[in-house]
Amino acid sequence: MDDDGLIAAIAAGDDRALRELLSRHGPWLAARLRRVLPPAEVEDVLQETFLAVWRGARGYRPAGSAGGWVWGIARRQAALWLRRCGPAELALPTVTAGGRDPEDPAEAALRRAELADAERVLGPPGGAQREVWRLVYVEDRPVAEVAELMGVPEGTVKSRAHRARRLMRAALRRGEPVRDGGGR
Amino acid sequence: MNGPGLTGDRGGLAAGGPLPPDVDLDRVWLGVATQVWRRPPGRVERLAGRLLRSPGLARALVTTPSLLLGWIIATVVMLAAGAVATRASGTPWVALAAPALAAAGIAYAYGPGMDPAWELCCSMAVSDRMVLLVRALAVFAFNALLGVAASAVSGAAAALTFGWLIPMTAMCGLALATATVTRSANAGVAAGLGGWLITVLAGKSADGQTITAITDSALVLPYLAIAACGTAIAYYVTRIPRGTA
Amino acid sequence: MNIETAGLARRFGSTQAVAGVDLATGPGVFGLLGPNGAGKTTLLRMMATVIPPSSGSLRLLGRDPGRYGPRREIRRRLGYLPQNLGYYPSFTVAEFIEYFALLKEMPSARVPGAVAAAVEQVGLGERARTKLRTLSGGMLRRVGIAQAIVNDPELLLLDEPTAGLDPEQRVSFRAMLRDLGQRATVVVSTHLVEDVGAACTEVALMHQGKIVFRGTPAELTARGVDGGAGDAPLERGYTAVLAEARS
Repeated sequence: MDDDGLIAAIAAGDDRALRELLSRHGPWLAARLRRVLPPAEVEDVLQETFLAVWRGARGYRPAGSAGGWVWGIARRQAALWLRRCGPAELALPTVTAGGRDPEDPAEAALRRAELADAERVLGPPGGAQREVWRLVYVEDRPVAEVAELMGVPEGTVKSRAHRARRLMRAALRRGEPVRDGGGR
Repeated sequence: MNGPGLTGDRGGLAAGGPLPPDVDLDRVWLGVATQVWRRPPGRVERLAGRLLRSPGLARALVTTPSLLLGWIIATVVMLAAGAVATRASGTPWVALAAPALAAAGIAYAYGPGMDPAWELCCSMAVSDRMVLLVRALAVFAFNALLGVAASAVSGAAAALTFGWLIPMTAMCGLALATATVTRSANAGVAAGLGGWLITVLAGKSADGQTITAITDSALVLPYLAIAACGTAIAYYVTRIPRGTA
Repeated sequence: MNIETAGLARRFGSTQAVAGVDLATGPGVFGLLGPNGAGKTTLLRMMATVIPPSSGSLRLLGRDPGRYGPRREIRRRLGYLPQNLGYYPSFTVAEFIEYFALLKEMPSARVPGAVAAAVEQVGLGERARTKLRTLSGGMLRRVGIAQAIVNDPELLLLDEPTAGLDPEQRVSFRAMLRDLGQRATVVVSTHLVEDVGAACTEVALMHQGKIVFRGTPAELTARGVDGGAGDAPLERGYTAVLAEARS
């Protein structure tokens, strides 16, 4: 049964469908949450998330993706916990985005986790696509410098950067992670 | 027997990454299932739990066969019919029916003839005797209240509205004693119904009136004696645990 | 010592079902073997405080089950699966187990979690909310096992627990027994000899109300070395001991 069918079954009171949904989406949700939370809290947040799924399945519209919807719920639960337990708990590698300081450390942490997962759509680390993304958008280097570093013409850098942005935007919009891309 | 875990292929690359090794999805499911599978007690059960100071007794009470919705509805219907008939014919059907209904309810409250899991119940910390006591009292009280209400509605005189409560006690005692001694709910019902029928008919043949069994004040002491004996017998028989014989 | 008996006996009318049993056992898995009518079920029922002994002494979990207060304490720490467990057809699996968890006077806050754990442990997670009337015999047996273990008992008494279970389920059941036997005293009464060999640390063989053999499964096997009928070594030991007792 596909995800929409499962959620419809959950809305009708089928606890087995809930269990199936947990076994399908639990692993990647746990992986993403694990970037921002310690393991015991990951389990607690997942528990609260799926209880919320159980109670709120009737409100799900099959338009978007089920994974994105569940992540939305998990995100809220995680943000709640992060805010309660304060920024001291957020011991995470920083991904500076132009030196902007995030207003809400919980939101920032969650966005970082989403970003890290979405980056997988650009292919393996060290691959051309991912390198361009890293150099141009994460390290904020000028195009000319990147072209020299990578040994390719500036036009190639620009087109790869443009493609990377498109892919990332699509991945972030969906909310759930996608399989590793085979980026060039 | 341990059901298939949720983690399945831990090494596999689910989109977004494999399950982190320090996260236990089975534990997550257990926490979710705990909330999803539980049957939260209703208001009646919670109140009973506080009054009886035992959630187990309260749960046993709300699952009494003769206090389930079907039985309650049937009793209400029968007493309502009795009230209507009383208004129409003048014969106090409610007063005549109530003791029999109560006796049947008591016999079907609990016991080896009634409870398929009786053997298991005999090994429970909440003793079968306590359950029987609480259920019998609840059934009695419920039938008494309902009967009084139906009687009042039927426009019967005060003597009749309450007069059948004493014979009812006697029939309940008889039914309870029979059910516990014979270890059969049906035998208890038969004793209660049969005993009452005989009493009413005997009263009628004595002075031609059906309500003699209810209104004759000379019968009060015998009724109370039967009620007391029946209860004592039931109490004694349930003293020694007997399981399913 | 979780179970201590001396000269324990029980008669029903003119039948002497249990005719003097002396036992003392602590944590571990204890197998009770014997033909039908040997008195296994009666012995188990006495240990489950369902019927009182006719004579002799019995102490369970260090208490005297003849008195109301200690009996109640024993029952809180007891798990019992009768040979014929009736069920309430309109109850669901979870409701049935929850009902008996409450009757065992488990603290009500702990009940839902314990019920969920017990359901998962017997592999009925997919059927927690299905009504008992729709279940097969083997599944009902597993429900029975679940209600017996829900309160994490110190004394677990199982009468023919594997009836209706398929071989795979029996294997996981024995694993569960070994696990439970670490902390509790588990007494398994069965006429299936292979159930005993795999899971039990100690075995007793009953015949006509008495214990005619007591020892490890290996010792029982040893008794059958010079010829007893049977396909498996343990079976041969079993028949050898029985033959001796009958002669």
